[in-house]
Amino acid sequence: MEPDGHSHMDCRNYASLDVTRGICHRTKEMVMAEGAGCEEFEPLPRCKLCVHYEPAETPYLGRCLAEQDRPMTYPDLAAVTCAWFEGKAEPLAKQ
Amino acid sequence: MDVLRSESTASDDRSTTPAVELAETRRRPGPRAKRLLDLYLAAYSSATNEFPYWYTRRYMQLDGEIPVVRRATALKEAFSHLTPTIYPGELIAMGKAHYYRGSFPMPWLSEAYYMAKEDELYQAALAKGATSADQVSRFGSGGGNVTASFGKVVSIAGKFGIRQEEVPALLAVARSWRGKSVDDLGHRYEQMVPGYPRKEEIMRSIVCMFDSGFTLPQGREVINYYYPLQHGFDGLLALLDERRAEVAGRADGDGLVGMNRLYFYQAARLVLEGIQAWITNYAGEARRLETREADPVLRQEYGELAECLEWIAHHPPRTFRQAMQLCWTAHVAVLNEDCISGLSPGRLGQVLYPYYRQDIQAGELTDPEALELLEVLRVKFTCLDCFASMGVVGGVLSGNTFNNLSLGGLTPDGQPASNELEELILEAGIRCASPQPTLSVLYDEKLPEQFLLKATECTKLAGTGYPAWVSNQTAMNFLLDQFGREGMTPREVRAWAIGGCLETSPCSWMELRLADRSYPIPGGSGQPTSVGVHFVSLPKILELVLFDGLDRRTGRRVFEPHGQPLESFEQLFECLQRYFSQAVEVLTRTNNIQHDIWRKNNMAVFHSLLKPDCLDRGHHIGELGYRYNGTFNIETCGTINLVNSLAALHTRLYRERAFDLEALQEAILHNFGYRPADQLGSYSLADQQKAEGGERFDRIHHLCLTAPKYGNDDPQADTMLARWEDWFCAMCRTYESLYGKPLYPCQISVSTHGPMGAATLATPDGRLAGTTFADASMSAYPGTDRNGPYALFTSATCWDHSRSQNSQLNLKLHPSVVQGRTGTRKLLELTRNYLRRGAFHIQYNIISSQTLRDAQQHPENYRGLMVRVAGFTQYWVELGKPIQDEVIARTEYEGV
Repeated sequence: MEPDGHSHMDCRNYASLDVTRGICHRTKEMVMAEGAGCEEFEPLPRCKLCVHYEPAETPYLGRCLAEQDRPMTYPDLAAVTCAWFEGKAEPLAKQ
Repeated sequence: MDVLRSESTASDDRSTTPAVELAETRRRPGPRAKRLLDLYLAAYSSATNEFPYWYTRRYMQLDGEIPVVRRATALKEAFSHLTPTIYPGELIAMGKAHYYRGSFPMPWLSEAYYMAKEDELYQAALAKGATSADQVSRFGSGGGNVTASFGKVVSIAGKFGIRQEEVPALLAVARSWRGKSVDDLGHRYEQMVPGYPRKEEIMRSIVCMFDSGFTLPQGREVINYYYPLQHGFDGLLALLDERRAEVAGRADGDGLVGMNRLYFYQAARLVLEGIQAWITNYAGEARRLETREADPVLRQEYGELAECLEWIAHHPPRTFRQAMQLCWTAHVAVLNEDCISGLSPGRLGQVLYPYYRQDIQAGELTDPEALELLEVLRVKFTCLDCFASMGVVGGVLSGNTFNNLSLGGLTPDGQPASNELEELILEAGIRCASPQPTLSVLYDEKLPEQFLLKATECTKLAGTGYPAWVSNQTAMNFLLDQFGREGMTPREVRAWAIGGCLETSPCSWMELRLADRSYPIPGGSGQPTSVGVHFVSLPKILELVLFDGLDRRTGRRVFEPHGQPLESFEQLFECLQRYFSQAVEVLTRTNNIQHDIWRKNNMAVFHSLLKPDCLDRGHHIGELGYRYNGTFNIETCGTINLVNSLAALHTRLYRERAFDLEALQEAILHNFGYRPADQLGSYSLADQQKAEGGERFDRIHHLCLTAPKYGNDDPQADTMLARWEDWFCAMCRTYESLYGKPLYPCQISVSTHGPMGAATLATPDGRLAGTTFADASMSAYPGTDRNGPYALFTSATCWDHSRSQNSQLNLKLHPSVVQGRTGTRKLLELTRNYLRRGAFHIQYNIISSQTLRDAQQHPENYRGLMVRVAGFTQYWVELGKPIQDEVIARTEYEGV
């Protein structure tokens, strides 16, 4: 399955073990990173879900508009710790 | 202590894994550690772009800032933005990245090696020879190594997996360092060294293995946990503020770097703030999990973890667990600050003992609880990965990170330093067998028999090759000789520990106040020892002597022709010295430039703050802030193949005239009539196949193989070793590091005997082309030590080991040799016998060659099998085949 914002790896309950799998904190089960999230899915803050994110023409690249110099960023960068993060109204729109 | 059950009383289950051949009981980790270790065994080595992204984003915004402040600000940004991940059951939290075996590249050191092959940076790296080692280094394909891309996972640097969606940003970040990295800047300036093209040829021909300045600028040293333990991070910030105010605008008699103290204190402050934010983010994650967790046990654990992290983010630890968490956090912080292999926790059992003693006496900790914490800490250390090029991580490190924990030794006043906590550490090593942290016993005659027997039991039962055994006295003699000129005293030298796999490292005693007592605790106070000229292939140098400076494997000229007819052994030895010296000369100067670039732009800030006496002096590592700075060294590989080859040349070519030089050269070029090792895919002497018509070299090969060999108490070979060591140990000290200190010899192979052997033709001792060298520096070449271990010991100690930072002897014993309590005593006496002769180090693999062969054929059955390579323990399935072949081929002793 394509990573589309609904995958396990995009969920706040997912603890990534490695690039392929992780542990679901709710079920304590090992789940595949790209597997489809469940009903309890809660989006993990990522740049692509932020109002300050602007996609670039190059796939998987974008810009952060929160700073004046508009630094390069990328859609799947986790933003859990980013002070500038502001979620979009509809965070799960496909990239 | 009940948890320290001896062999006679152990009642755990018997292992059914093929890795364990001992008929004796094998102990198991507790359920928590087992779950966490199982997660490790299931995890891929995974890389992320998070830290490099935030570091680079901030760094590039600060053009014009003072370099140390610029770097510190970037580090603060990166630490503050790491995504915290906590796994169910963790008692000790935090890691390098948000993956279990997470790591990340540091393009500010070197960016070219992990760019896509078609990328121009990679092509440039090939052109300058620095990545040739990548082509002859092979990782084990099993275990957690991602050696090939799959799905949306991209294999990078031959070992790590990265999510495809991170790759474009990873490359964009890397490109922004083009021309700015230590690698690129260093290359620009190293070309100004006279004779620089020779360096490129040396690297291309694998005469030397890697450049430490931009690959692993730090490491093989001992960390120091004292300052955070004593003052806590808030206390350190207050101290930094005080010192900053004192020195601002003052040179205090030092017109060169006196003013720099202000910038260092400011930089240290910034990094500390970043580390506090990093810890606080983890604490926040623990609180978040606590509030959402349905399981009451887990909920309580998350709460306790949050409390622990919230406390240590600001204050000195009050308990054993808090102290352990703080040490671990400081350890990972240093590893995230720079690319480091061999950051050893040092004598951690003595550092944590005050907290252990206090909590035990207060009834707030039990030994089973302490043991559980020590087991889970083992898992955390095992999860550490070091991101570097394949040539370094595969060819040198075999994926290992060399976090060596030392045990035993002496106290400041010369009494045995071992304690109950160290026995628990050994027990944790037995139960929770894992590669990290590997263990080393600083053997001293004063250490109690009970402790030594416990350590011997660990060597036997863990099945991992640890602890290694090193001589306390020999090491102290070396240290006083090397660091006496920097003020080391007989009292201070007793604080030493092993840094990295086997590097004798200077340490200092620090007075820790806890409650109403004061404890002298040891911690690192010296610079890295992973730096300098690393590694020089001695058999390859000899090969170049025999072929007048031309590498016949590549057809490239490495050295100017010596033009000597090599009519006598003395003439040959003189050419060997000349070529070796020429290599060391150019490599020392280029290495100094690399490290000079590193210290100007990529200096250690947090690591400097931890080590005495940077906080007092106000200078970081690059400004000689450390107490001991003479740690650069010259490291060699293939000593015993060189010695055996010299013995063969001396005996057969020059004394007996059994053949002439031309005939020997022809035989070498034709690999003594055998097929190339890489065609067979087998890298030990035992498994080679004759080429068609190869019989015409049988006589000369037979003469070479039957020439005197090291390891048999044969003076004809041993005098060659003594002569080489006498010259080599003295010549190293005639070279100078960028810090103005003399270099010294370092003699361990790590894993370089694989790739360096792969790049070397057949040698006059009868070894075939492309096969692995003898491991370590004092191990016999497989199958050539025929007179038992005591004859090997006599050969190995024909020179003074205290003249070198280390020497290394690996011995493979059949498990039947050391069975039972009698076997344990026998093993301890064997160890004693060697170390009492003035030797420095010995370590054991207690496993049969038959098992190893089966493991090579059926790796799926041996995921947990570990072996001792050369100073480190590694999972069998994560070793490259050349090293696997070499370990299998090692002489197996069936009696001692």
